[in-house]
Amino acid sequence: MSFLRYIKDRLISIVVFFLYYFFFLMILFVFKVPRTLVIVFTLFCLFLFSFSFLYDFFRKKKFYDELCQNVALLDKKYLVVETLSTPNFYEGELFVQNLYDINKSMIERVNKKERSIEDFKDYIEMWIHEAKIPISSLTLMCHNHQEIDKKVLEQIKRLDNYVEQVLYYVRSEHAEKDYLIKEVSLKKMLNTVALKNREDLLENKIDLLIEIDDVKIRTDEKWLEFIVNQIINNAIKYKNKENAYIKINTNLKGEQVFLIIEDNGMGISSSDLPKVFEKSFTGKNGRIMTKSTGMGLYIASSLCKKLGHKIQIDSKEGIYTKVTLTFSLHSFYDVVK
Amino acid sequence: MKKIMIIEDDVGIRRELQDLLLHAGYQVESVDDFEHALEVLLKSQADLLLMDINIPYLNGELLLKEFRKKSDTPVIMLTSRTSELDEVLSMTYGADDYIIKPYNPTILLLRIQNIFKRAEGNHYQSFYKDVEVLPSKGILKRGNEELELTKNEMIIFQYLLNHLGTIVTRDELMADLWNNEEYINDNALTVNISRLRNKLASFGYEEIIETRKGQGYILL
Repeated sequence: MSFLRYIKDRLISIVVFFLYYFFFLMILFVFKVPRTLVIVFTLFCLFLFSFSFLYDFFRKKKFYDELCQNVALLDKKYLVVETLSTPNFYEGELFVQNLYDINKSMIERVNKKERSIEDFKDYIEMWIHEAKIPISSLTLMCHNHQEIDKKVLEQIKRLDNYVEQVLYYVRSEHAEKDYLIKEVSLKKMLNTVALKNREDLLENKIDLLIEIDDVKIRTDEKWLEFIVNQIINNAIKYKNKENAYIKINTNLKGEQVFLIIEDNGMGISSSDLPKVFEKSFTGKNGRIMTKSTGMGLYIASSLCKKLGHKIQIDSKEGIYTKVTLTFSLHSFYDVVK
Repeated sequence: MKKIMIIEDDVGIRRELQDLLLHAGYQVESVDDFEHALEVLLKSQADLLLMDINIPYLNGELLLKEFRKKSDTPVIMLTSRTSELDEVLSMTYGADDYIIKPYNPTILLLRIQNIFKRAEGNHYQSFYKDVEVLPSKGILKRGNEELELTKNEMIIFQYLLNHLGTIVTRDELMADLWNNEEYINDNALTVNISRLRNKLASFGYEEIIETRKGQGYILL
């Protein structure tokens, strides 16, 4: 709290005081009061006035300085009400009381919103589980009745993939309790993803070349499957020419494991490359292929962030796309454990 | 004939599963009365259970837990829940496998076969006529004669052998190969089969793998 600003605020009362003072001074002169008495009177007036003035200033300064300092230091500024000592002046009391009420009503509002988001999330999760039942039914039907066109199965798979995306989007946004870190074999995880995409890969004549070390990393298996599945799906969707392939390799370097997924598809233009992990970004390829939602890589990267993995993408338009997932071996989780 | 019990409350899926398993040559029963599911299961003497997690009354996980106290029959959990936690929970309650909906039917059948194979130990069809199959060494053995097969050829031969006398589709062979981490393409499968045929012919077995047009292959 600045003293000058405070004085400026109280300019009127200072001016009024001096008017009073000069008025009395004039009366004293008119009545020819001795000089010493005038001096004593002046000093007395000044002392009293300054005292009341400074007293008020310092007790307010104490309160407001505390307020400003606490607000500056807190990262959750709304908690400042809890840190204040009760002010010993009326305005301050009013101010704190109202601040408290405002805070309370805002917290209630936020809680209500949070609850409704939580409800919505629960509903979406439940809905997804329900939606998977008819999808499973349809998949089985296609298999049991070979006369049904293969194209139907393709569409069912697309549908399933979109449904899955919603599930992991919800999870990546509110993921406090939904994951479980354990040792996962990269080979086994890739096998699951490969089996899931087998028909698509064979149909599109894309060779899957997996040559990896048998390493175990710590992660949530389902999440990682989803992430890798998104990358493979993209590679299938944006395949380019004949002799298409998806190459999957690992690379061990000290405490880090790199999982490298490379394809020879249409690639990503250098101007789009920095933006591929942004929400709803579809870019040039997305405009060519109407199927893009721009959510796949966004969700994959936010899941990676939550799991503590790194995802990088490198590409040359028309030549290749290379996605690298980086996992730390045990050190990080050993500390956390 | 193996008997498989389906515990699934969605009628559509249940019917399709029944069809699928019947086609594959299993005997199929399903639970209709979920209130007394446990008693039905214990009485059924099935060789394998396919169990959904979201079923009325007792949910699948609890039903499995109760069932495990009294029986060792293999159980595969079929579920639309895709969290790691659910899988771990099911596995600790004693499930033998955990498959997430929507599952690929070919893979489901493979998993079922694998469980039966595991349950019966390693004695599963290790002879073709007078030839002994040694998959761990990658050879076929007749007396002192040995025929070396590559890993892919061995997987194909074993699969055909396990389905001796029945038609095996290319899709099934492909699924089995991929399941064994051999991610080959269509051409490679054709090449592998013709190579396997040649090898077997040189071993004295000509024309034992027949092609059924539009359907698949059959080992005679």
